[in-house]
Amino acid sequence: MRSLIDRWFARLRAVFNKQALDADFADELAHHLESLTERNIELGMSPSEARRQAQISIGGSEQLHELHRETRGLAWLEESMQDFHYAVRMFRRERGFTIIALLILAVGISLNTTVFSLVSTVLLRPLPFADSDRLVWITNAGPIQALSAITSQIDTWEGLQATNHTLEQIEAYDPFSVRQTYRLTSGGGEPETIVSVDVSPGLFGLLGMKPALGRLFLPEDAVKDAPARTIISNELWRRRFGADSHIIGRSVQINGDPIEVVGVLPPEDAFASVLFPAVRIDVYSPLQNDQNRSSGDVVFLIARMKPQVALATVAADLKLAIAKLKLQYPGRPDSTRYEANVTTLHEWVAGSLRRPLLFLWIAAGLVLAIVAFNLGGLLLARGSSRRRELALRCALGASRWRIVRQLLMECLALVGSGSLLGGLLAWGFIRFLSIHSSADIPLLQSLRLDGASLVFTMLLCAVTSVLCGAAPAWKLTQGMDLQNSLNEAGRSSAGGRQRSLTRNTLVVLEVALACVLAISAGLMVRSLFNLLKTDLGFQPRKLIAVRIDPLIQGSQASYLEKVLDVVRAIPGVEYAGMTDCLPIERDRSWGIETINADKPKEQRGDGAYVRVISPGFFAAMGTTLFIGRDFTQMDGPDKPQVLIINRTLAKSLWPSGESPIGRQVQLSFHDKLFTVIGVVGDIRHSGPEFPSGGEIYLSMRQELSFSWDLMVRTRLPVATLTADLRNALHNVDAALPLTKVRPMQTLVDRTLSSRRLLASLIGGFSALAISLAALGLYGVISYMVSQQTKEIGIRLALGSSVAKVQWRIVQQTMKLAFGGLILGVGSSIAASRLLRSLLFGVSADDGIAYAVALGVVLACAVVAGFIPARRASRIDPIVALRVE
Amino acid sequence: MPKDKLDLLPGSLDLLVLQTLATMGPMHGYGIARRIEEVGDDALILNQGTIYAALVRLQQSKWIEAEWGVSDKNRKAKFYQLTDQGLRRLISETEHWQRVSNVVERILRANDATA
Repeated sequence: MRSLIDRWFARLRAVFNKQALDADFADELAHHLESLTERNIELGMSPSEARRQAQISIGGSEQLHELHRETRGLAWLEESMQDFHYAVRMFRRERGFTIIALLILAVGISLNTTVFSLVSTVLLRPLPFADSDRLVWITNAGPIQALSAITSQIDTWEGLQATNHTLEQIEAYDPFSVRQTYRLTSGGGEPETIVSVDVSPGLFGLLGMKPALGRLFLPEDAVKDAPARTIISNELWRRRFGADSHIIGRSVQINGDPIEVVGVLPPEDAFASVLFPAVRIDVYSPLQNDQNRSSGDVVFLIARMKPQVALATVAADLKLAIAKLKLQYPGRPDSTRYEANVTTLHEWVAGSLRRPLLFLWIAAGLVLAIVAFNLGGLLLARGSSRRRELALRCALGASRWRIVRQLLMECLALVGSGSLLGGLLAWGFIRFLSIHSSADIPLLQSLRLDGASLVFTMLLCAVTSVLCGAAPAWKLTQGMDLQNSLNEAGRSSAGGRQRSLTRNTLVVLEVALACVLAISAGLMVRSLFNLLKTDLGFQPRKLIAVRIDPLIQGSQASYLEKVLDVVRAIPGVEYAGMTDCLPIERDRSWGIETINADKPKEQRGDGAYVRVISPGFFAAMGTTLFIGRDFTQMDGPDKPQVLIINRTLAKSLWPSGESPIGRQVQLSFHDKLFTVIGVVGDIRHSGPEFPSGGEIYLSMRQELSFSWDLMVRTRLPVATLTADLRNALHNVDAALPLTKVRPMQTLVDRTLSSRRLLASLIGGFSALAISLAALGLYGVISYMVSQQTKEIGIRLALGSSVAKVQWRIVQQTMKLAFGGLILGVGSSIAASRLLRSLLFGVSADDGIAYAVALGVVLACAVVAGFIPARRASRIDPIVALRVE
Repeated sequence: MPKDKLDLLPGSLDLLVLQTLATMGPMHGYGIARRIEEVGDDALILNQGTIYAALVRLQQSKWIEAEWGVSDKNRKAKFYQLTDQGLRRLISETEHWQRVSNVVERILRANDATA
């Protein structure tokens, strides 16, 4: 076995060392010949006879060399290399063809590699956690799709932990905590606003994350009255603390309190990149169960299944566990509705991305198909002009297989270099996507050109070569007969007609695929426009959100009012207001119930988003107050508790249409009743794609909260406003970090980022597809015109008008184009089911999208046909008739 | 070429070369060819050139190794020498050859007896 491997390596090496080995063997043979001649002389022959006999007994030098080469080397490899060199020489000669082909290929391959990397990163690769296939996600099931409805209570978590039989470990984090920010005053630089997430002590361990420095959280960090401790992100550690390795055990000032740093995370924070893709998390704090026990549904649960346990078993087990809990604690206020639903963590993270990404993948595949058809057409056209050369080679003794192999090798050389170029291009695309995209897509930061993508690219390369090389090669060598080909003057010979049939078919397919892509791009762009047009219930333009974290606890309201007074006095500020729950970014909901003492059965309840605000908030947001009044300074802590609701909630609580003003309601976590004083318009709380739910507004003088956003309506740019704020607020709060000053429009755009990415990618794909199809059409029609030069010349000579000649040619183009259009529309209708769930406000058979897409394709087809038609009309009959 | 000369069985040339190198020590291609002819009493048809195909095969399998040197006639020549692997190969191949030829002989004899 060893010797066999040795032998093959030696043979492989010999291929690349041909000249030296040949020379060596020639020397050896010379020695043999001399020795033999000498012996023959010794035997009594004359010197010339001795040499002749010696030569005879050795054999012919050329044959011996050939035998030696065959034995020591690999003949097929050498031949392939010859073909390859030949191909490279050919391409150098035909620069125009080669450049176009390489460009087409590079774009097609790079798109596919990029999309595959996306798919592989988000869907195919396991999550970047230890044993990630056993990780599951447990959600509550609430009446509305808000965070509060799908998170669970601490008691549920602990109860599940105690009673389940299928999970090794359940850990938790508080998704609401990410909404709250803090002031960090330690380290280098100005005070800054940082984001913290509360995680259970075992969470990082469960996910297999290890600290870069120090340790992870321990159970004792999360007990009541434990000293405040934190784990900081690698990025924060480098940025503010100069990557100081002595930071462990030291205290940092967060919101004015000293907090001990116990660990530093590695540069790649797997937890954040998967669960908070669009947020930069600076620090983590231990989740304290006792502190959160009475806060309702506050935690997301991540668990690890025991080995060899199926998901369905876990689901059944948890159902039982919940039933047991409900029996055990019948007094829980939410006992009628809490659940524990289980999915895999991967499904939770990437499930909603599966359709868009698959769609993108298919689209990229279609582009590649067009590329391959186009290249096939080009090769076929080029091959037609090479028929004489090929026929000659055939006549000189090359077998058909040998010629097919050579044509394939040419194709492989072309596609190989195209793929190389495409790989480089893809690397660029991927870098761009992973760095510059603010898209809310999990794992995107970990997007890179990895081994799997490269293998995929190589596979694509091979498939493309065979697709676009094999068919033309086979066709070209079909009926290869020297006489026939060398004499092929009659251009309408059978072989020629068959070849143009193949090319026509390819072009029709290209147009059809381009149609499919154009239609889906049209639908995607229409959806995006619909979303951009959606009324959010507030005006995001000229609205800037400034994060404010007051240090003074207790008298927060007067601090915030002082800030508001100062800000309203800044020239250029139209309105200003405060909220603790910025639409799009923050999310919290409570239960609300109407009070009807006479008929308790008619009491109605619902869940609603809660926002604590200052007077003037609605004016700043541009939200309409329909009836009643806004909050005033008078709605203080010692006054009756009041609230404002939105129209959706008003309709749901008082469906018969009576005015809600002056009615009393009960809120979760509150003993006193509230009186409704106003009704405002709905706000699309989670972004344009999601309908609004019920909303409750509370006065900031009556309800305590943390982390506020100052909403400023102004024409001032962000930088100017920040500078003005810094000056104006210096006397109120000198250490106020102004590091989170964001135009509201940016936040709205971020919710659309993945859709925008999808629309622009698919738009780019279809533009490319249409150009390629047009190029294909142009090639076919040009070829046809050049074949018909003689005929056109005769027609013109016989008095046919130029317009008629042109019309004939455009007509032929249209025939092909319409064939493609019909096929394309048919496949689009068939495929519309795949698209439906990705659309917004437009149906999958939207007439406008179809009309625009088909119009664009048709226009491009007309142009592609018209250029050769014009050329035909300039044909001089005299010249044309002399052509042959 | 006389008609009663024997054709070599396929594959046996490699074995002959190995055996020659084992008994004679380092030799050049011409020497090996001469030696095989002499020992075979000139009864074998040996196209002397083909010995080089065998040599390259054996060398690539690392059973022999080659080095340029000077022959006793003071000419530059390439000398081949058996490696340890080559010796092991020779032993196993010889044994294999003998077993095969024994079996063939036995079958031929048995057929003789029944005839």
